[in-house]
Amino acid sequence: MGPGLFGYAVRRLLWAVPVLFAISVIVFWILRLAPGDPVDTILGRHYDEERAAVLRNKYGYDEPIYVQYVKYMRNLFQGDLGVSTRHQDFTVSEVIWPKIKVSTQLGAMALFITFALGIPVGVYAALARGTFLDPLTISFWLALDAVPVFVAIPILQYFFAVKLGWIRLGWEGVWSPNIIMPVLLMSLPGVAGVARFMRASVVSVMHEDYVRTARAKGLKERTVVVTHITRNALLPMITVIGLSLPGITAGALFTEQYFGIPGIARESLAAVTAPDYDVILALVLFGSTLFVLANVLIDISYAIIDPRVRVGMRRG
Amino acid sequence: MSNRALTLMMGFVAVLILAVGGVFVVILATGGSGDDDGGGSDRPSEGSTPGKSSSSGGICNGDKLITFGSDPASVLDPIQVRDEGTSEYVVEIFGGLVTLDLDLKVVPDIAKEWKVSDGGKTYTFKLRDDVVFHNSNRRVTANDFKYSIERAADPANGSPTVTLYLSNIVGIKERFSNKATDVSGINVIDETTLEIRVNQPSEYFLAELTYPVAFVVDKDQVQKNPRNWTQKPNGTGPFRLVEFTPAERIRLARNDRYHLGAAKVSEVVFELGGGSILTRYENNELHIGGVPGIELEAVKGGNSPLSKEYRPQPRMSVSYLAFNVRKPPFDDLKVRQAMAMSVDKERINQVLFFDSQRVADGILPPDMPGYTESVSAYAFNPDKAKQTLGESKYAGKMPRIVLTYAGQGGDAPDVLTAITAGWKEILGLDVELQASEYSAFLRELRRGTFQMFSAGWAADYPDPEDFIDKLFHSESVQNEQGYSNPEVDKILLQARSESNQQKRFALYAQAEQMILDDAAVIPDFWPVEHLLVKPCVKNWPSVSMNVPRYRYIEIAATEN
Repeated sequence: MGPGLFGYAVRRLLWAVPVLFAISVIVFWILRLAPGDPVDTILGRHYDEERAAVLRNKYGYDEPIYVQYVKYMRNLFQGDLGVSTRHQDFTVSEVIWPKIKVSTQLGAMALFITFALGIPVGVYAALARGTFLDPLTISFWLALDAVPVFVAIPILQYFFAVKLGWIRLGWEGVWSPNIIMPVLLMSLPGVAGVARFMRASVVSVMHEDYVRTARAKGLKERTVVVTHITRNALLPMITVIGLSLPGITAGALFTEQYFGIPGIARESLAAVTAPDYDVILALVLFGSTLFVLANVLIDISYAIIDPRVRVGMRRG
Repeated sequence: MSNRALTLMMGFVAVLILAVGGVFVVILATGGSGDDDGGGSDRPSEGSTPGKSSSSGGICNGDKLITFGSDPASVLDPIQVRDEGTSEYVVEIFGGLVTLDLDLKVVPDIAKEWKVSDGGKTYTFKLRDDVVFHNSNRRVTANDFKYSIERAADPANGSPTVTLYLSNIVGIKERFSNKATDVSGINVIDETTLEIRVNQPSEYFLAELTYPVAFVVDKDQVQKNPRNWTQKPNGTGPFRLVEFTPAERIRLARNDRYHLGAAKVSEVVFELGGGSILTRYENNELHIGGVPGIELEAVKGGNSPLSKEYRPQPRMSVSYLAFNVRKPPFDDLKVRQAMAMSVDKERINQVLFFDSQRVADGILPPDMPGYTESVSAYAFNPDKAKQTLGESKYAGKMPRIVLTYAGQGGDAPDVLTAITAGWKEILGLDVELQASEYSAFLRELRRGTFQMFSAGWAADYPDPEDFIDKLFHSESVQNEQGYSNPEVDKILLQARSESNQQKRFALYAQAEQMILDDAAVIPDFWPVEHLLVKPCVKNWPSVSMNVPRYRYIEIAATEN
């Protein structure tokens, strides 16, 4: 990594700070301006002003919003994400970290499978262009993408669990066989998208001069496909992979719901409906941070892979 | 699609998934060790290899009951509990002076007897001397109760329920508003004698003491670990909490020393994951299953093997539509009556619920002490309804009507759609349905913003006062419909201090009938929970409220 690259990376990272700051302000205010607060839900139909005042005081909701915000940020910088109003005996980190971990592990496996299948399928389809095998392959994966998960899940669950008795559906940890089906359900629908992108990318480099040159030099077809075509076609794929990375922590709501997976999607839904202010904020900030970081990383990796980007960067 | 085609398609998908699954297992086996977060050794489900037979298999061999539950909405601290889902756990872990038995009668728990003196204003409880906390050998004494109730009333602890259920105790309100430093109405006479003074003689005071906010907690534990003690609470109930992993599970283990008789099952596991409860039940992963509305017909149908395991569980609650009598057109009794008479509850029950709900002919559910069949709501009568609406002062110049319900958007609940369709068809009334997010709904409900709304009420304790007085006394906070009838108020006031149970119930019945005649609300259903219970689960108690019940259950492998 050259000095130019390093400076570029630092600049990009510094830019992330005001972005995240703006997000925190907006989300903090929107949450508190929405009608109904956690105390409304806690007291429910048994609401009375006296108890509400005691509770608002306990959680600090009775202070002006900017005071609450300053206090929140002060705690945040000390690593304290606040208290969950649903689980007051857990800190927000204790509530969300285990869930982020579960979702990330499953998401990473799913993402790996998606790309591990999608890239070869895309290359194959591109090479088979002009024959019936191209549309057939792509359509097959598109069909898997087209079935909504909330339709597929109950059918598959019933078939494999109740009819065949092969699997259990409960949550027994990340490293139990029970997660095979949810992970496949999270990964297979994405294959079509990756394959189509890869196919387009391969098609665009297939007729480049350097490919023709490689063939003319008498290189083996295998070498041409792997080294000259696929490697170059993978370059735009980096953006796709990079932008999918923060997504792996996002969880998959339907899959988590149907398989009882204690992941981040279910947690987010529960936090929003509660509403559990500090948990919602922590989740939004976490997600935004990842997204911003992923974008920076993509730009940096572009610079590493493609020298042309680096040159332009030094100038700008 | 034909069955054959479907089978073929499923087979095709299965082959594909298996192929990819195989690759995946290899990846998993080589790449996944190290991190063992979710898969500790202490799993409730031994032997993760699924049985391939379709009989109840392994699940009936052990003595652990595996059921489903909801994620607690608050910490498992008796003074913080405010919803039914959470109190289900808390009543098993903790105990108080008195408890409810399966017939919802107030029975001794830690207090073995009590006497009432001073014209109903002083209760003297004699405590058992053999009750110890779960994780320490410390005996529960009268001091523990004084501490626990004063802790509940301490405003710093912000209990959402203390002034709701215990405000009759002398000094609770003063302590909660920080005007006193202790609760003057609670006196420790000696280690096993506790005296509680109340402001008003009341027939349901003992029932209020069965609510978690009056339960006893371990002072030593709470003071040593004020923030986290609820993760391993030291209670006195029939079960102790051994695991609580949010969104995953709650495990309760039998308290062998439980003074009212130890439980028969060694453990109760509540799976909090939600998801496909019915499928998991069918897959023998759960002893107790739930039936979602759309599956009711399939499950209840005669040829489903599940029909024999179906258990309807009536809840002590009522769902209703309420009119805001302060807003036009509902300030006119005729409009309310006409609308009440044009809700065909029987047909809705038949079509939407496959006859599995109980049509509400009154406000008090049948499980409620003091329920009487003589009370009745307006019967479905389209002709009379049309006629009544014609006599209303709004006839021909009906303002816009909006019915608000708590919901997350999407389609309105089928029940509401069906009811409004009925009003359109019979009365020609256009009633718009409007969803409102829950906490905003609650806030606007209190402010009396809604013209008409859909709501429900579940019993806090089994006494008609909890429904009739709380929802319809003109000064009650929960009287969101703004209903005010001085006659009803008078009867309710009289009932509050009537000491003869039969007379008291008669007063509530009288008030209930007047409220129904005034068409303040349209009660539609007394909800029923749809459960499935495996045949090997014996003595599954049918009880309409959250009372300690898991200690009665037994798991016995059956011949089936």
